[in-house]
Amino acid sequence: MSGLPRRITKETQRLFQEPVPGIRATPDEANARYFHVVIAGPADSPFEGGTFKLELFLPEEYPMAAPKVRFMTKIYHPNVDKLGRICLDILKDKWSPALQIRTVLLSIQALLSAPNPDDPLANDVAEQWKNDESEAIKTAKKWTARYAKEK
Amino acid sequence: MGNCLKSPTSDDISLLHESQSDRASFSTDPDLEPPPPYQEQAHMPLYHPTPSQARLATQLTEEEQIRIAQRIGLIQHLPRGVYDGGPDGSEKKIRECVICMLDFVYGDPIRFLPCMHIYHLDCIDDWLMRSFTCPSCMEPVDAALLSTYETN
Repeated sequence: MSGLPRRITKETQRLFQEPVPGIRATPDEANARYFHVVIAGPADSPFEGGTFKLELFLPEEYPMAAPKVRFMTKIYHPNVDKLGRICLDILKDKWSPALQIRTVLLSIQALLSAPNPDDPLANDVAEQWKNDESEAIKTAKKWTARYAKEK
Repeated sequence: MGNCLKSPTSDDISLLHESQSDRASFSTDPDLEPPPPYQEQAHMPLYHPTPSQARLATQLTEEEQIRIAQRIGLIQHLPRGVYDGGPDGSEKKIRECVICMLDFVYGDPIRFLPCMHIYHLDCIDDWLMRSFTCPSCMEPVDAALLSTYETN
């Protein structure tokens, strides 16, 4: 395997020097391609007050291929399934090498503010979100309180 | 079509000095691709029918092979150049190639997309083989190519 591309080093440095508000991404000590991510639930969303852990991995092909990102913290969200996988176009067919770790995490933060039940990954959650949004939001808040509060 | 594609402006000179320099070895010309079916031990390049897939040339369907061949042809039609800051310094503002995130250095081979975004040649060609879109503006490159043909 070749050494770490300059781009990854540069992105890591910039994330450290100019952190994104509400987001923390730290490279793993043993693997510079693996990041421990924490995103704060955005204000005025059912996830407010929660801190959500994610893992982000830069595959060998990066930046020609998108990073792999997954929620580690349980979350009630129509675009996140039980395994924490995220339905987000830029992580799939809309990936572009002009995007970065920073922009990916900002997009995930935005997805928390604006769930999109019309493009669901967790079907039952999306159904609930479409049929009875206020009930869905209540459940999301409950899950946030139960699983996403730092002890 | 296609003959004028790889027409570097600088290397033809070496033909005039052929006997003076023994270093000019024609056997290592990277542009000379061996015919794939007969070279069993040849290094097999990976192709990407879609950005998320990687397959050996032998594992591609005929349709994919045709598409990839067409893609290679189209890419070679895109103008290439050398980073020199632009004719009036217009490219000076663009410091870094967004793909590798390294600063452009005078003399770097670059490619211009129809939307006028520029990248290192190797960086953008690698991406265009996967997706024929500009990484910065997501503009489909072939659509833009067609429209420039029409306007010219």
